[in-house]
Amino acid sequence: MSLLNLLRFISLRHMRLQKAQTFMAVSGICLGVAAIVSIGIINNSILFSFEDSINKVTGKAVLQITGAQSGFPEELLEKVQGVTGVEYAVPIIDTHGILVGGKEESLMILGIDVLIDHQIRSYSLSEDNSDIPDPLLFLAKPDSILITNRFAEREKIKLEQKINIQTVQGIKTLKVRGLLNPEGPAKAMDGNIAIMDIYAAQMAFGKEGRIDRIDVSILKGETIESVKKRIEDALPKGYNVDTPEGRTKQVEILLSTFQRNINLISFIAVFVGMYLIYNAVSIAVVHRKKEIGILRAIGTKRGQIIRLFLSETLVIAVIGSSLGIGFGIFLAKSLVSVFGQVVSEIYMRTSVNEISISYDHLIKGFFAGIITSIIAAMFPAISSSRITPISAIRSVPFSEDGFFTKKKLGIASIFFVVCAVCLFLQYKLTENNSYFHSSLGVFVATLFILIGLSLATPAFLKAYLLFFRRFIASKMGSSGKLAGLNLQKNINRNAVAAAAVFYGISVFVSTAGFMYSAKMSVMRFIDNAVKAEILITSGHPLATTGSKNIPMPLDMLKEVEKIPGVLQADPFRKLYVSYNNRRTLLLNIDVARRLSYSSFMVVSGEEKNLSNILSNKDNVLINEGFALKNNIKPGDSIVLPTPNGQVSFGVAAIIVEYTSDIGSILMDIHTYQRYWKERLADTIAVRVKDKKNSEAVRKAIQDKFGNDRKLFVLLASEFKKEIRKIIDQVFVFNYMLNVITLTIASLGIIVTLLASVLERTREIGILRAIGMLKKQVSQVVVLESMLLGLAGGTLGCVAGIVNGWMTLDGFYRSDFGASAQYFIPYASIIWAIIISGLLSAIAGIYPARRAAKTNIVEALAYE
Amino acid sequence: MIELRNVSKIYLHGSSEVSALKDVSISIKKGEFLTIMGPSGSGKSTLLNLVGGLDQPSIGEIFIDDKPIHNISDDELTLIRRRSVGFIFQFFNLLPILTAVENVSLPLMLEGISFTKIKPKAKELLGKVGLEKRSEHRPEQLSGGEMQRVAIARALITNPAVLLADEPTGNLDSKTSEEILSLLKYLNGQGQTIVMVTHDLKASTYGTRIIKLKDGALSEDISIGGNGK
Repeated sequence: MSLLNLLRFISLRHMRLQKAQTFMAVSGICLGVAAIVSIGIINNSILFSFEDSINKVTGKAVLQITGAQSGFPEELLEKVQGVTGVEYAVPIIDTHGILVGGKEESLMILGIDVLIDHQIRSYSLSEDNSDIPDPLLFLAKPDSILITNRFAEREKIKLEQKINIQTVQGIKTLKVRGLLNPEGPAKAMDGNIAIMDIYAAQMAFGKEGRIDRIDVSILKGETIESVKKRIEDALPKGYNVDTPEGRTKQVEILLSTFQRNINLISFIAVFVGMYLIYNAVSIAVVHRKKEIGILRAIGTKRGQIIRLFLSETLVIAVIGSSLGIGFGIFLAKSLVSVFGQVVSEIYMRTSVNEISISYDHLIKGFFAGIITSIIAAMFPAISSSRITPISAIRSVPFSEDGFFTKKKLGIASIFFVVCAVCLFLQYKLTENNSYFHSSLGVFVATLFILIGLSLATPAFLKAYLLFFRRFIASKMGSSGKLAGLNLQKNINRNAVAAAAVFYGISVFVSTAGFMYSAKMSVMRFIDNAVKAEILITSGHPLATTGSKNIPMPLDMLKEVEKIPGVLQADPFRKLYVSYNNRRTLLLNIDVARRLSYSSFMVVSGEEKNLSNILSNKDNVLINEGFALKNNIKPGDSIVLPTPNGQVSFGVAAIIVEYTSDIGSILMDIHTYQRYWKERLADTIAVRVKDKKNSEAVRKAIQDKFGNDRKLFVLLASEFKKEIRKIIDQVFVFNYMLNVITLTIASLGIIVTLLASVLERTREIGILRAIGMLKKQVSQVVVLESMLLGLAGGTLGCVAGIVNGWMTLDGFYRSDFGASAQYFIPYASIIWAIIISGLLSAIAGIYPARRAAKTNIVEALAYE
Repeated sequence: MIELRNVSKIYLHGSSEVSALKDVSISIKKGEFLTIMGPSGSGKSTLLNLVGGLDQPSIGEIFIDDKPIHNISDDELTLIRRRSVGFIFQFFNLLPILTAVENVSLPLMLEGISFTKIKPKAKELLGKVGLEKRSEHRPEQLSGGEMQRVAIARALITNPAVLLADEPTGNLDSKTSEEILSLLKYLNGQGQTIVMVTHDLKASTYGTRIIKLKDGALSEDISIGGNGK
């Protein structure tokens, strides 16, 4: 009750009177919570869209049998149909094509057995075709296709119209036999789904004799588990028999690294927001020292003072978190399609346009905002209770650093840095132990570096100001001198503002370093791997794993090689396989050919004679990520499921390979063809006899195949440019985070400077009284702000370089599957310094105006 | 009623010790109006702070109504300040964000009593100090004398055992000072025990007893019966 009185009569009034400070604190929490909420919603929406598509396409099937992405022999269908308890087992071709012409939309294409598929899925056609007795039967004609009403409307396609679809066999002309109502499968993928007869789909997509999936419904009285077990027993090893939920779970595992990383990033935003709260409450405590003294003198207990500040923070946190939820939803809505696109490019095809809000994420974000704010307010609140009642009577100096004395700060700073070093060393020294070798440890180490160095900000600021006053201030006239002196008076408090910039800039520089190094490493790898002058893909310029890429038949190679000027054409095929129930990328190239002009970047294992070891042999290379996740060394063997059962492959070496964050296996394409019985390539790398003729050769390739299929025939430079584009897309959230942290840092500066200006009212009044111009007052305050910003920015760059390096080492190798060398991002560092100076100068404008407006008479009467 | 037994207070200034109060023993009876005098640095404010529980003695014992206020926890001491002591400061020490009536109500609000219940009593006290029409004004809208009256009303709201005043007229002109001192004298006449620190000889004549301090030690203790207006 007494707390309510204090809150009502004192805290709420302060909030109302100091609108600017309240606004900053609320904004800080709002941004942090928005980061958490938006990321949560985006992650959820992406998973939901997968789940939704899987469920809609699943129909009544309770079990789904999948093998390698290349498909498996259709003879297995009979085996499954013969299993006791199976009601229906229907084959599916699950692939995609691209509509040629129009918006070039990608379509999920389901090849179904028209005679039995209706037992699993229901299809309903729009009224226009109500005279068709059984539309599915029409599909028996190989040129037939059903598309959804929605897709037809978007692409302005009419019934019975002929459309061109890009397939593995080139561009196929198909006739639209019916338009599907948005029911069942037709609702999946935002309507970008088409139905074909299974036989026609097999022919068009190079899957003769193979199917991608078998959907199974079970008889009444049977349990899913028992039927699943029977099916597993009936099939060769290496097939996945899973429920639709299980398949969603697999997608979740596939995306887990991506999702975890963006979650960690949102955590940093909250951390920076937490700092702002610490800053705001610390300043409030100093600013209200006298008030606290009076309250203590007339009988307010220490605990009541602490609770008062915590309750104030709680009120701000509740408002900030509530607004953060709204802003987070807005951010998620604006960004979900960008993220969907990134996931589509890198992992799996998806179409996410709508957000799916789970209350869990909102509650998580809300409480994260509140709990972190309270924790952040705890230290200054406790230090507030140290204010003695005597300070109400006379000006007893209150060491504003509370129990953070210089000595304690120094010790804490060293402690955190040492802990960070230990954690990182532990990470480095336990490379072969996946239990201790965790990137989470590195993340904590980077946080410790941030905390450790931020605690050193007062010492750094002191040295920095000494330098400024000695060498620079004298050249800047009275403003420079005053600014330097003012900042030196309250080193600890000003250090808090500098530290806010420190956090913003260190996050900026570490992400910049991480991204720059990742880019440089990937580009080096690409330079090493791609020696060809021309790259041919179909459906997507890079033929990335989850993309709209449509493989090409291997027979194309010979035809390409016949084109004048072509030296050789090499195939590249990649697809997901399951290893230890986790999706892994299988990369297939012609090893002998590749080695004739370029080597692999071997980390350990065989380096010489790889051509003999791999070519058409049961040996593979694996990348570091795969080796690390599965604890595999050169000389070990791995068992992979092939369409013809499980096969053991020897691991010849571990190599640097960046294609995927889930781990990759590299195999000779002849070995692959032998076991997978598939003759497709996603990319054809073309080397020309004379580099000067590259452009002419490209044109010749385009001319030769352009009528049959839509190809991307890119020069190596264009191909690399596309890769850079994808890397930038992957880091889109990092950019967003930079904006958020720098905004919060600027808010921190404004809060500090405002408090400093208010506190110096009398001093400013005196300066104005003895003839200082308003403009000069403003100049001093803006200069102070800039100096703080530059100090924080400089220290932030140091932390940013260290953290960027650690993050790269800790995350990149395990998450992206390859070692990356750290490159100091010089350009970004220069930008960081400019930004910190500029942003803080801008942040200083408002306090400067407040200072300039000081009423001289009132200020001098100020007690 | 208030008993100080061999009280000393030592402050640390860097590495050296400074004795602000040396072995002082005083007994203050109920209904007394004690004035503490002495030059700057003689320890009078230190003495007042110790009596009011704003500070703790380094050596010695202090009792209010036979209850010790030395060597007790901060919370216990805080409750004594809240319930048994009323403070009047030289610089008034009102909270600028509260109105006069809210400032007066503050000590009872700390007890958890709602403002609506306290307000009539606070207004009555403001009436008693002659400020019934200024109750909704904020400190910045009041004169020095008015602010000190609000502070006196605030000190009285808990019916404290003792009213402690630290140079209550130090920041006021002579006419206002006289008014404030008369008010204190009037309250003392009503039975209120008052301890006042001042270096103004005239102010000291309003009290019933004067003690003088020199270099932290008691130098004189004079009973005068009071001849103020």
